[in-house]
Amino acid sequence: MMRRISRKVGGLRNLIFIGTLLVLGLIILLDIYLVDRILEPLGYFYIFFAAVAVLYGVYPLYTNRRLTRYYWERTSRHRLSILGLAFIIFLAAAALIGPLLTQDPTRVDFDEKNVPPVGFTVQQSIYDLNTDKFVVREIPGTWQHPLGTDDKGRDLLAMLVSGAGVSLQVGLLATLIAILIGTIMGVVSAYYGGWVDMALMRFTDIMMTFPFFILLVFIIFIFGPSLLFIILVIGLTGWTGTARLVRSEALSLRTREFIMASRSLGASDARIVFRHLIPNVLSSVIVIATLSIPGVILAEAALSFIGLGDPTVTSWGMILNAGQRSLDTAWWVAVAPGILLFLTVLAFNFLGDGIRDAFDPRSQV
Amino acid sequence: MSQKLVEVENLKKYYPVTAGLLSRHVADVKAVDGVSFNIMERETLGLVGESGCGKSSLGRALLRLEEPTSGRVLYKGSDITTWNRRQLKEFRKEAQMIFQDPQSSLDPRMTIGDSIGEALLIHGVGTEKERLEKVAELLQRVGLEPEHAARYPHELSGGQKQRVGIARALAVNPKLVVADEPVSALDVSVQAQILNLIMDLQHELGLAYLFIAHDLAVIGHVSDRIAVMYLGQIVELAARKELFHHPLHPYTEALLSAVPVPDPHQKRKKTSLPGEVPSPVEPPPGCRFHTRCPRVMELCRQEPPVLRSREGGRLVSCHRYG
Repeated sequence: MMRRISRKVGGLRNLIFIGTLLVLGLIILLDIYLVDRILEPLGYFYIFFAAVAVLYGVYPLYTNRRLTRYYWERTSRHRLSILGLAFIIFLAAAALIGPLLTQDPTRVDFDEKNVPPVGFTVQQSIYDLNTDKFVVREIPGTWQHPLGTDDKGRDLLAMLVSGAGVSLQVGLLATLIAILIGTIMGVVSAYYGGWVDMALMRFTDIMMTFPFFILLVFIIFIFGPSLLFIILVIGLTGWTGTARLVRSEALSLRTREFIMASRSLGASDARIVFRHLIPNVLSSVIVIATLSIPGVILAEAALSFIGLGDPTVTSWGMILNAGQRSLDTAWWVAVAPGILLFLTVLAFNFLGDGIRDAFDPRSQV
Repeated sequence: MSQKLVEVENLKKYYPVTAGLLSRHVADVKAVDGVSFNIMERETLGLVGESGCGKSSLGRALLRLEEPTSGRVLYKGSDITTWNRRQLKEFRKEAQMIFQDPQSSLDPRMTIGDSIGEALLIHGVGTEKERLEKVAELLQRVGLEPEHAARYPHELSGGQKQRVGIARALAVNPKLVVADEPVSALDVSVQAQILNLIMDLQHELGLAYLFIAHDLAVIGHVSDRIAVMYLGQIVELAARKELFHHPLHPYTEALLSAVPVPDPHQKRKKTSLPGEVPSPVEPPPGCRFHTRCPRVMELCRQEPPVLRSREGGRLVSCHRYG
């Protein structure tokens, strides 16, 4: 019975995936109609993409260890890309474990405001309640706030750790949404050609010229600022480049004889698209994804910086915004998230370059 | 006399030429323009012609890998051009194809074993273990080792890849195999091995081949009967011996005179054809070959000749034998 069904949908893997989707759909229905909030809205995306990543990413890499080793060797030849990967892993670890070790990033304490990082001492004029006068006092950095505090006395390290999580979430989820849509659009467009291609590509053109910023402002105006909407809007508008690139690659793949061979064996369209076309464009897609993550992270930071971000989460853009207002009294508040943003963007770009060289079909022997 | 396996009747395959924003249909490339022939069981029908004469299009239209524009293809007496998706899927088990370029006919992201096993998977043959055994058996049958199943295409040589392509075609136990220039992308030394393999398999498995090639020497080596194609039409069809010793059509003569003979001193009648192959969009009126024919007559310019039977069951389309 199980075997019959799993053969029908093309393997146990697809069966598990469809099962996951059904469970998610059920939870959504329960959420809407019966009890509220079994899962945070973002939770659906995490489960969905975790399922995609494990079933269609990690599992094939595991079963194809020879190919995996081959790609790893080629990527690791780039020292900078390994450095980038190490930084990203460090960041992810900080975002996952960090919040357990640091203080509450939203805790305000005006007695501790504008404390400099450890090793620095600054002079501040402080209003003394006893003498009713302003006095200039030396304030040294303490180990209680290793990176200092901002003008509301919030711990900067805790804020940065929280910001790392936000940036990675936005970067990964929005990019995954974008490349998922883009890949399917591109492959379907190229494979079916004709009016399907025409319609999908004109739609892509329209989306390309669509001002995503105005859409975002509009949505925030209606629903209020929330990280979920920012991720959705960036993801749902950012797939156009991927779609075009995937389409052009799939177009050239479609004329290759193995596609014709597969059809002559009696393969269905779905089989050709999912088993032949998508695996063959996947290497380019991974490269596009890695290289577009930094753009998305910067976009979120920019939105938070100008005050359109989610006010309930502490993101790097928000810290930057807070920091630039007190740049003359507490320079470290703006500098720290700036450096982290810079390094993160750089790390993803380096990793992307390394992966591109490893996956580039032209350099394959 | 063995049974007819395939009967092709007046098959046409036109590719539309479109122009402008609205894809106006302006003309047709008449790749295959009214072709009729039979393929017997267990025989090899060679199909020879210059590149661009429509031989590959004919092979694909015959298997309905591309929809024929008109005409009928009878497989064991029933017309496959009217078959629906389900029937076609069954037909895919009967008729298979070997492709020209071993470089591009295998999915670079699939192991050899997966590529060969795909047909078994699609048709739901056996359990996973049985499929693996079948793949190993097929690999041995085409002269490879079962260990090759775990390799990727880029790890094999051109000849090995072509063997894999043959194994894939044989996975479903077909009766008919269309071999579209199966050796033209290979080294000469490897060509002979692959040709011998193709012929051995025919004897072992009782296959019928439509063997497409532009090389008369290759065609002559494998074929029982040979069809010569020019600009979308068959100009001559005869048994191999007769075609080679007594070519009737002037085009066949010219093709034969172009076959290299490994003897520099042999005196041969050289027929060289002037000019280029005319465009298949607007083929010349009358006989399609008249623009290049060394023995053209006035009639050839006006009236198209018909493919007629001559003595010995051979067919030729030329006014000279009117």
